[in-house]
Amino acid sequence: MPLGAKLAGVLAVGILPWVAASVWPLALVTAALAGVVVAARLPARRLLRSMRGLLPVLVVLLAFQWWSHDLAYAVRVVVGIVNAFVAAGILTATTPVTDLLDGVVRAARPLRRVVDPEVVALTLGVVVRSVPWVAGSFSSVRESARARGLDRDPRAVVVPTVVHVVAFARSTGEALAARGLTDPGDDAPGPGRSGSARPG
Amino acid sequence: MTEVRLDGATVSVPVDGSPDRRTRRILGPVDLVLTQRRVTVIGANGSGKSTLLRLLNGLVSPTAGAVTVDGLDTVRDGTRVRRHVAFAFTDPISQLVMPTGREDVELSLRRVHRSRSDRRAAAEQVLERFGLTHLADQSVYDLSGGERQLMALAVVLATDPDLLVLDEPTTLLDRRNTLRLRALLEALPQTVVLATHDLDLAAASERTLVVDEGRIVFDGDPAAAVERYVRLVDEP
Repeated sequence: MPLGAKLAGVLAVGILPWVAASVWPLALVTAALAGVVVAARLPARRLLRSMRGLLPVLVVLLAFQWWSHDLAYAVRVVVGIVNAFVAAGILTATTPVTDLLDGVVRAARPLRRVVDPEVVALTLGVVVRSVPWVAGSFSSVRESARARGLDRDPRAVVVPTVVHVVAFARSTGEALAARGLTDPGDDAPGPGRSGSARPG
Repeated sequence: MTEVRLDGATVSVPVDGSPDRRTRRILGPVDLVLTQRRVTVIGANGSGKSTLLRLLNGLVSPTAGAVTVDGLDTVRDGTRVRRHVAFAFTDPISQLVMPTGREDVELSLRRVHRSRSDRRAAAEQVLERFGLTHLADQSVYDLSGGERQLMALAVVLATDPDLLVLDEPTTLLDRRNTLRLRALLEALPQTVVLATHDLDLAAASERTLVVDEGRIVFDGDPAAAVERYVRLVDEP
């Protein structure tokens, strides 16, 4: 399936909760997405595992929306988020990152006077790659905290994870700069930049 | 032949918490002309080796003096310098920014090949050249340390740079992978400048620099450099 169609699909799934009058169209989309996961033999277990991390947020959101609106609205919002999450998971699992980058470059080309399309694409690529790294870092920090008997102290998990993420961002930025990937390309706006980093 | 020239290159960094914006010199001034194909840099941790290497492709800008590669100033002509000078880090996982090796090689080639099919074909050739085709579609997290290091090298060499700079490339490798990497580096047509704690690797180069407390304290024959370095670190 062409990338444009996939992106349009993800967008439609994301918009649906705002236009649907009841939960049934959303439930139909949920069933269709589950069908795609099975038909395309995607790692459903991994998808469910990653959704487990989202669960506390969904519960809080459901409670808040129920309190501020009504139960039907709250269910629509939560099912809509789950659908968008699964649709995005299907997109990234069935599309090589380089194809995504090409698609983003094409989409951002009309804005090339404002921003370098390659930099926009690269940013997206780095975000996609960083998600499993951050999850892995969180998990190893939690294990370390557990080994020290500190697993009930949120500071023992959150602070080291933030430190790891900042260090990771810094080293990734340095690696990109070293490869000249943050240097202005042919489509870049404005005059050239020096591209040099501060001393480390 | 690539010529690297450092003219009074100095790197200073601000002193943390200093109210009068004081700086501390961490390297230099360094005056050097490197024309040999294999140059190694040895020195203790924190001696300034990595800073010296980072000057060569503009990752670090000199706060005084100048660094040129084949006449291109690393600050003024940074973009052009980075097209000629590849840099490989100690930890390859910080270098591999895409989910798989194939995608990372293709990322390197984005500025060279605009067409997707040309880029794919070129990436395939690079992976074949390094014997990495069978690992190309695996997650970079699933590769062993040695495989990752080879993949990281393929990634930075994909654009055929003239100069390859490596910061302690064997530190995280076992002996077998160290020997594999050494053989690969020996066979490269590029000029190679690398920092290392592997004294055998240093001794096999053409010229070795010994760095201590931000200064080049020896520059010349690798065997003599290793001897000097060992004396330096063994001194109480």
